[in-house]
Amino acid sequence: MVPRLGSVNNIFIIGLICVVTWLRDNAAVVRVMVENSPNSPSPLPERAIYGFVLFLASQFGFFVFCLWAYVPAEWLALLGLTYWPQKYWVLAVPVYLLVALVVCVVVLFGVNMMATAPLDSVDNITDPYARRQPRHEGPEGGIPRLEDVPISEVNRKFFL
Amino acid sequence: MPSLCIDQSSTSVAVHYLTLVLVFHIENRVFYASPAFTMDDEKYTDINGKPITLDYQRHSSFCTEFIVSSPKVSIGTVMVATSFVWIFAYAVFCLTDNTAVLSSAIIITLIGMMLYIHFVKIDHESLLVIGSLGIQLSSSYASGREHTSFIEMSKIKDIVINEAIYMHQIIYYLCILLRDPADASAVSSVVPLFPSSKPRLNCLVKVYKTCQEIISKC
Repeated sequence: MVPRLGSVNNIFIIGLICVVTWLRDNAAVVRVMVENSPNSPSPLPERAIYGFVLFLASQFGFFVFCLWAYVPAEWLALLGLTYWPQKYWVLAVPVYLLVALVVCVVVLFGVNMMATAPLDSVDNITDPYARRQPRHEGPEGGIPRLEDVPISEVNRKFFL
Repeated sequence: MPSLCIDQSSTSVAVHYLTLVLVFHIENRVFYASPAFTMDDEKYTDINGKPITLDYQRHSSFCTEFIVSSPKVSIGTVMVATSFVWIFAYAVFCLTDNTAVLSSAIIITLIGMMLYIHFVKIDHESLLVIGSLGIQLSSSYASGREHTSFIEMSKIKDIVINEAIYMHQIIYYLCILLRDPADASAVSSVVPLFPSSKPRLNCLVKVYKTCQEIISKC
């Protein structure tokens, strides 16, 4: 976006190297911090049990689906299973799901386009938080506060 | 009957190409740069890489006019598009043997082209900045129709170059920030400039610098 894209890439690579070095030095501290937090994604015994139960249930469900699909209706009636759905749905449900998947891909693209603000919207310029922020005059020689810079000022610095 | 269908379609094809050539001839004469405007030597393009031209004229120290012209529709593109439509219509005709397909294809292409040059294809967009009076935006279509709007200076907070997401890319666009009547420092709405030609940053910076000179003086 900013002109001189090459220098932005270099700065990004240098920053990445610094972060990786820092992480390597502080890896142990980071691991303990992540493990002890209540929302950590690390493996736990309860999670292993949930996963195995889901795996068994899905394998069993697939086996029952194949049974329903391939065993003729008369044999199922002989076994006493008379109230199972029509065989039509064995083909219809997978086809519906796959078509729904393809439609979802297209609709996701469309939803993204709808959610993007158009070029004439104020949301591209400012928002209620930026409007409400107080403008502070920093101390002379100090680093200014982190705040939203108004677009007019940004333009003057870049283009004039 | 193959001989009959060739005969009919060849006359219609001839009529079509004649109309096309006439339409083009008229369209290309609608606007050409008058000698009072300075043509820029630098090559400007729009966001898709198609070449555009920027003409500007300083009428006085507080009044400048910019005109961004899009390239005209090339006769090659039109010929390719209409050939596709007519070959398709001819194929449908040979399958169904219904001559209404041919006539409807002809009518659809004619009406479609007329609607396109009157409502969709913009020939040039102009921006006239008059210090302490206001800004006039005007877009003129390929058929000669012009749409103009004027914004008075008291409503204008600033003219800025902003970056925004447009489809799959991020583009620079020049826009006028309109003042909120209730709150003097707030922006109530945004008017993008050159919305159909969408020039790239080098063209926008030129327009921006001149507009800021004029606006900051008054």
